[in-house]
Amino acid sequence: MYFLEGKKFIMDLAIEKTYNGNNWQVKLCGEIDIVNSAEFKSQLTNLIEEHVADIHIDCTGLEYIDSTGLGALVGILKNTKSHGKEVRLSFVKPNILKLFRITNLDKVFIIEEGDKDE
Amino acid sequence: MNNAECIKLSFPVNPAYVSSARLTVSSIANRVRFDIDEIEDIKTAVQEACIYIIKRSANVPKSNFEICFTPGDKEMHIEIVAEDNLGNLVNELQEGFNDEMSLMMIKALVDEFAITKPSNDKISIVMHKKHKEVLFSD
Repeated sequence: MYFLEGKKFIMDLAIEKTYNGNNWQVKLCGEIDIVNSAEFKSQLTNLIEEHVADIHIDCTGLEYIDSTGLGALVGILKNTKSHGKEVRLSFVKPNILKLFRITNLDKVFIIEEGDKDE
Repeated sequence: MNNAECIKLSFPVNPAYVSSARLTVSSIANRVRFDIDEIEDIKTAVQEACIYIIKRSANVPKSNFEICFTPGDKEMHIEIVAEDNLGNLVNELQEGFNDEMSLMMIKALVDEFAITKPSNDKISIVMHKKHKEVLFSD
């Protein structure tokens, strides 16, 4: 893990987290895969300990996610819901949205319309 | 796919090399002139197959798994073989063994898919993907 311009990087993934007083805004850039999914889950699970709030994840820069990354997101969602809050995903690329649909996770997550590639 | 060329690679059972397998298959699929969506499907299927293999082989010390890519005319055959020490695959699959999400993704992304145990200590994942135009003409 390393830091650059205030963003926290884990292998092949940059996570920018800000709390705006109402909810967490998380921007992802890179890939979530078997190498970094556990660290990704840990970082986002810890947010709720800091401020109990909804988590909005901007996936504009998310290029790839595998089943371990999807599993990490499900873990984050469960933890957030256990505090009565939600996880929202936005700007999900078509190749990633396809994986949510295949695994039926599109029915579990709130995925906001708006694909910057369309 | 008789007399087809085979590209065989061996990777350590280590998650750090899964992305290398994914990038390699992307390059080979591009040579077979799959379109971008099909290449994305193949990359993801290989990634998920590697994850499945790594989880099953995690307790085999210093083992490698082999991937054999056989590109054909408008199709590609992929076989992954690894050491396996988790016992009887058939029973585990029937009992709803883990990694359901990986298997669900692979099934949806390739045209043919099978997991077999060629011997007691081996596991094999076989995947086959055809060009969309071939599928529609069948």
